[in-house]
Amino acid sequence: MSLKKQDDMDHNAWLKSQDLTAIETAFLTTLIWLDKRLRIVDYLELLETMYYRANLQMPKSHTEQYDLDNKFWYWYPLYSLGSLSIIAYLLAAVSGALLGFYYAPSTAGAAAQGDPTAAYDSMVMIMKDVQFGFMLRSIHRWAAQFMVAAVFLHMLRVYFTGAYKEPREVNWILGVVLIALTLLFGFSGYVLPWKQLSFWAAQIGVELALATPIIGEWAAQLLFGGFTLGQATLVRMYILHVFVLPFVVTALIAIHVGIVWVQGIAEPH
Amino acid sequence: MTDDTTPMTDGGTDDEARTDGGPPATVPPDDETPTWSERKEHSQGLAQLTYQYFERSRREDEDLRTESTYVERDVLGFPTWPHETIRNLAITSFFLGMILLVASILPSHFGDPANPGSTPAIILPDWYLYWSFGLLKLSPINPELAVLGGNIIVSNELYGLIAHGAIFGVITLVPFLNKGNARRPVEEPGWAALGVTGVILAITLAVLAIQNFFPVPLELLFSLVFMLPVAGGVITYAVLKTMREGYMYDLNRRYYMLRPPK
Ligand code: HEM
Repeated sequence: MSLKKQDDMDHNAWLKSQDLTAIETAFLTTLIWLDKRLRIVDYLELLETMYYRANLQMPKSHTEQYDLDNKFWYWYPLYSLGSLSIIAYLLAAVSGALLGFYYAPSTAGAAAQGDPTAAYDSMVMIMKDVQFGFMLRSIHRWAAQFMVAAVFLHMLRVYFTGAYKEPREVNWILGVVLIALTLLFGFSGYVLPWKQLSFWAAQIGVELALATPIIGEWAAQLLFGGFTLGQATLVRMYILHVFVLPFVVTALIAIHVGIVWVQGIAEPH
Repeated sequence: MTDDTTPMTDGGTDDEARTDGGPPATVPPDDETPTWSERKEHSQGLAQLTYQYFERSRREDEDLRTESTYVERDVLGFPTWPHETIRNLAITSFFLGMILLVASILPSHFGDPANPGSTPAIILPDWYLYWSFGLLKLSPINPELAVLGGNIIVSNELYGLIAHGAIFGVITLVPFLNKGNARRPVEEPGWAALGVTGVILAITLAVLAIQNFFPVPLELLFSLVFMLPVAGGVITYAVLKTMREGYMYDLNRRYYMLRPPK
């Protein structure tokens, strides 16, 4: 009897005893090497379980159970509007992050009234000089437009299919907050290039804020950095657009979709 | 916690001098974990109420499950995973392509630099805020109080703000006003009509915001802004009411055959 510790699980010996092709040997050797160190078998098992869950016969859904499918299928595209909002949001986030490398939130540099400011110049630079910059801005703009359109239509879909009823009231209210924030996202982004229209749209914003009773002046200070537009306004809109809103909206979308995940999609009766 | 036989990290035995926090806290063996009912008894006030409610709702679930005659799980919704997710991925990837296509063939407009000294003839936000700008142009119907000698009570800006608040408020309240489990517009023609009214109102308000582009007298435009939505609502109501009979009959027959009303 040998003194050497007996290895019940001598994988290498097992490997040799098999009659394997080169590819199979390489695969198994790598797998065994990794598994000894990282115990990936556990994770593979989890993946496998998920695979089977996904491919299992699901419990019959309401539509199938009552054979409503032939009345229902043409509504399916409307049910993807929520996902389209998310995809457009992600696309805007990626292109926006890239635009952020070149954009400068500053009103400096205008010698006289009506001269281009640093912010305006940086936009011109993005469109004219930056490689792929024109397309980048175009993608960002259009992604934003698509997102707002999708959110509006998504809300109409939810309304007309009565999908907001019990138990989905909380999601409806979350949705109202989300659509308001989406519009604020669009508004703050519209101000950033500091064009004529940006400036005067912001002007209307300040006037509205100031018209609010009691908190009006405070709100104008907070959102627009004062009662007349300038550097402070631009920086506040910038921080709102690239820092505050992204975090808040992303978190709310995560909760919104999490609730949908738990509750399932409401089906027509 | 402290145990004389456990040596300390520095080899000492004087318990008073122990500074290493003692031996690791032990996990109570299973039979020492308080049971549900023990925990419920020990708790009081809000915690106990919570336990009581949980028990009730558990029992309710249990009863429903045993009463149910369905072999299948009685689903309330369409599973998000995988049905919905996969279907959506297919459709949204198409939309993603559309966004890129549109972005490459329709570049965005870029205007003049800001000039605080000259107000442009037309101030406009992006199209999705037109309805909101339209609400700010409602000053002609800002009520004037005869008592105040024809003065308006609220400034025109505040009036527009209040309109925004009212709209968001009504939208928020919808789930609490319309209950029941009807899902199809035909089942609730009134609510569908309200929805159509809202959609058309958003569009007409947007038109009001860009009134300069329409060669229509302002008076007429203003009437249309409110008449068209109402007309749309009435038509929707009439159409759905008419459709309802045959449509509901068909639907009910299939539905109640499988799930007779109690
Ligand atoms: C940023 C904006 C939003 C995003 C990303 C979003 C995303 C989603 C997604 C992915 C779903 C799953 C079902 C579907 O795709 O139709 C969903 C469902 C839902 N959404 Fe939204 N949504 C947004 C805004 C809104 C708004 C404005 C409302 C209404 C005021 C709303 C109310 C609801 C409700 C009630 C459901 C459940 C519907 C059902 O179960 O059939 N959401 N949302």
